[in-house]
Amino acid sequence: MRLAILALLLLAGCGEKAPPALGGDPENGKLLLRQFACGSCHEIPGVAAARGRVGPPLEGVATRVYLAGVLPNTPENMASFIRAPHKADPKTAMPDMGVTAAHARDMVAYLYTLK
Amino acid sequence: MKWISALSALLIVAAGGAVAFIYSGLYDISATDQHLRPTYYAIKKTMERSVERRAKDIEVPPLGAPAQLERGLSLFREHCVQCHGAPGVPPEPFALGLTPLPTPLARSGLDRTPAELFWVVKHGIKMTGMPAWEFRFAEEDLWAVVAFVKQLPLLSPRAYSELPAQLARPEAVLPSGEPDARRGKDALRQYGCIGCHEIPGEVGPEARLGPTLKGVASRTVLGGVLPNSFDNMVLWLRAPQAFTPHSAMPMLGVTERDARDMAAYLATLK
Repeated sequence: MRLAILALLLLAGCGEKAPPALGGDPENGKLLLRQFACGSCHEIPGVAAARGRVGPPLEGVATRVYLAGVLPNTPENMASFIRAPHKADPKTAMPDMGVTAAHARDMVAYLYTLK
Repeated sequence: MKWISALSALLIVAAGGAVAFIYSGLYDISATDQHLRPTYYAIKKTMERSVERRAKDIEVPPLGAPAQLERGLSLFREHCVQCHGAPGVPPEPFALGLTPLPTPLARSGLDRTPAELFWVVKHGIKMTGMPAWEFRFAEEDLWAVVAFVKQLPLLSPRAYSELPAQLARPEAVLPSGEPDARRGKDALRQYGCIGCHEIPGEVGPEARLGPTLKGVASRTVLGGVLPNSFDNMVLWLRAPQAFTPHSAMPMLGVTERDARDMAAYLATLK
């Protein structure tokens, strides 16, 4: 009995969701990742047709320590890298897509669900 | 039939016990806690037999020429004394904190054959502090270390202290050849690549500092900056910071040969 309760508690713990990163809207972020064609260069789980092989796959990107090899992986850094990749790495192949701050926030909220 | 069910019941209980022991956290993993005597000797015997078996067929070149011993001494001073000490010289303090404690090499020089010493220096020993030197030393340098270690038991602490203090700094001479993907797979482990990258089929710390290398062969751009080709991969592996100045990917001192072997292996990860 006790074990069953413990198991239930554990399951409940797993189900508990952390609030979205930067307070963005992950569902909208997923849509935006598609709209900005991020998938033509990156593989992104959950985003339709995101099968690009130019940059690294974004599976598990939330648990990576660095972004683009140069920035500590924080939601703030991810948002600023999405908006202005050349600021962090002048020679990066990742283009500036003209993403607004609000859009970047939602994208980050989705990308941070990719553990 | 009865004994079969009894045996399987026993096996299930044993497996359950082993899993329970692992998850309980009861095992003391600290380096300050010594192994139980039976555990220590079981591990030691396993290690010795493993080495003997693998060293059996190694062909030993002539050992003991003065130039070779001199080179062996240089390498010994640069890379071995820190952990193993030398006659009358202690290991560095950090090495005294290792478990198992590295063996004083005068002992190994007496007990182990040249082939066994060679095998251990070249391949290292899992779950001890002993690293593999295969990707650090050329073959003849590995033998130079072996030649010197075989002489070590004959050196008194005084004689050791009187050996010339300054010798030319050893310089690695590494041969080159056609890229060898199989060797490259080992090199990826030996240069610590698995410390930061997930590589299919490799077990490591899963630290995920950089991206996974799954499918790296079919990626278009390397490190975000270089078009993916064999030659660019070699350049990137050897000097990532030449392309991305503050890349978290460090300059690992990868030799041309090792980088070519690694690139050959990475090219198979489609």
